[in-house]
Amino acid sequence: MPEDDALMHILPSQTSSGSQRVMVEVAGLCKDFGAHRVLDNIHLTVDPGEVIAIIGPSGSGKSTLLRCINLLERPSAGAIRVGDVEIDAFRKITRRELLAFRRPIGMVFQSFNLFPHLSVLRNVSIAQERVLKRSREEADAVSRQLLERVGLGSKADQYPARCSGGQQQRIAIARALALEPELMLFDEPTSALDPELGLEVLNVMQELATAGMTMIVVTHEMHFAESVSNRVIIMADGKIIEEGPSVQVMRSPHSERAKQFLGAVLNR
Amino acid sequence: MMATILSGVTWTIALSLTALAIGIILGGVLCAMRTSGVALLDFAATVLILAFRSVPPIVWLFLIYFGIGSGIVQVSPFQAAAIGLGLITGANMAEIFRGSLKAIHPGQGEAARALSMPPVWRMVDVIIPQLMRISLPSVVSYGIGLLKDTAIASTIGVPEIAFKASHVSQVTFRGLESFAFAGALYILLSVPIALASREIDQRLRARVAK
Repeated sequence: MPEDDALMHILPSQTSSGSQRVMVEVAGLCKDFGAHRVLDNIHLTVDPGEVIAIIGPSGSGKSTLLRCINLLERPSAGAIRVGDVEIDAFRKITRRELLAFRRPIGMVFQSFNLFPHLSVLRNVSIAQERVLKRSREEADAVSRQLLERVGLGSKADQYPARCSGGQQQRIAIARALALEPELMLFDEPTSALDPELGLEVLNVMQELATAGMTMIVVTHEMHFAESVSNRVIIMADGKIIEEGPSVQVMRSPHSERAKQFLGAVLNR
Repeated sequence: MMATILSGVTWTIALSLTALAIGIILGGVLCAMRTSGVALLDFAATVLILAFRSVPPIVWLFLIYFGIGSGIVQVSPFQAAAIGLGLITGANMAEIFRGSLKAIHPGQGEAARALSMPPVWRMVDVIIPQLMRISLPSVVSYGIGLLKDTAIASTIGVPEIAFKASHVSQVTFRGLESFAFAGALYILLSVPIALASREIDQRLRARVAK
């Protein structure tokens, strides 16, 4: 049962014993929406503990790439491996495979997507009960701990609507962490927040990165990309146009398109 | 006179609740078929909804009671009325649910999927509770409409308010008083339901409002 295996996963720092296997492998990934090719032959590998920032202009396919990695969008071509589970766009994916594939992946959305009818505590607990089969007491105890960790222990009994955007996003992070993911995907986590509230979220993310979490972050936060991530990927028109160590990519990009994009976002 | 008409209240309430219960269950099934993404199920549900809604209630009752219900299967007037009104309610509930489903942000389902929650729990924990809140006002106002529509069950002999009023007026020749009293009873039944619904709706809304 995938659920039982899942209980064994704790943090990536602990899984790094033995062979340092690549955690995420994306090969030849394409995604078409009708006649429009949104992702064009994407290759990407992520090592355990690595933090990757994906930047680029709107419509470049950043979010679609992220959504393909946990199969919220089905790839049109290519293969994706996360941990030990590999899927191929040309093979039919069973429901069981789909759940097993997503199991080690946590995701944080631009629009938070907390469940509005559940209290903050229940938001963090519900998936633990349904996926990890924890009892309500166990799940709630873990949730309270995680809420403390993101600085929101006092909000446990509130409803999400009573929380600020920054608080909601930190709750969403706690909700994803509750399933003990090995990989966290962040889809523009601060784009819906004003700069001050965004900072609360970035601080939590930075702490997570320091703790050794493997992260892929689609973002417009250039400072985060340069200072927190290990590697930056610049996308344009569905392709990866620049990739490398963060400072190098941000300071001295090779391609004209990347220079143009960075010039526009950095010199304003 | 009043006591006789009053004795119809139980039947009116029982018929309304039964038809509403049938309708909500049937509506849930039809809505699931409509949104399943399976072309055949979608088509079947569309045809059923159209049929249930296009035929007038009284024709449904006669069809079930005098048509189907007098052959091999025997149905009582109450059963026929509950089934007939239930079918029509089901078709309307399906459309109410489908509309409410569209009002739920697609991010809700996505978040549940990203948390690798199994499909059944995604529905039970995430979608259905929100669906109930969003559809509550429409369901209740339909329910109040249904309460009044149960009067047509008098035509096949269900001893509810309208049937009793009609009976009393024929015996006493006091049509005005009989039907005025029946009318007042419908008002007395409807108003508390409307008030309760508004109260519940506001409470649920306060929880999710910004």
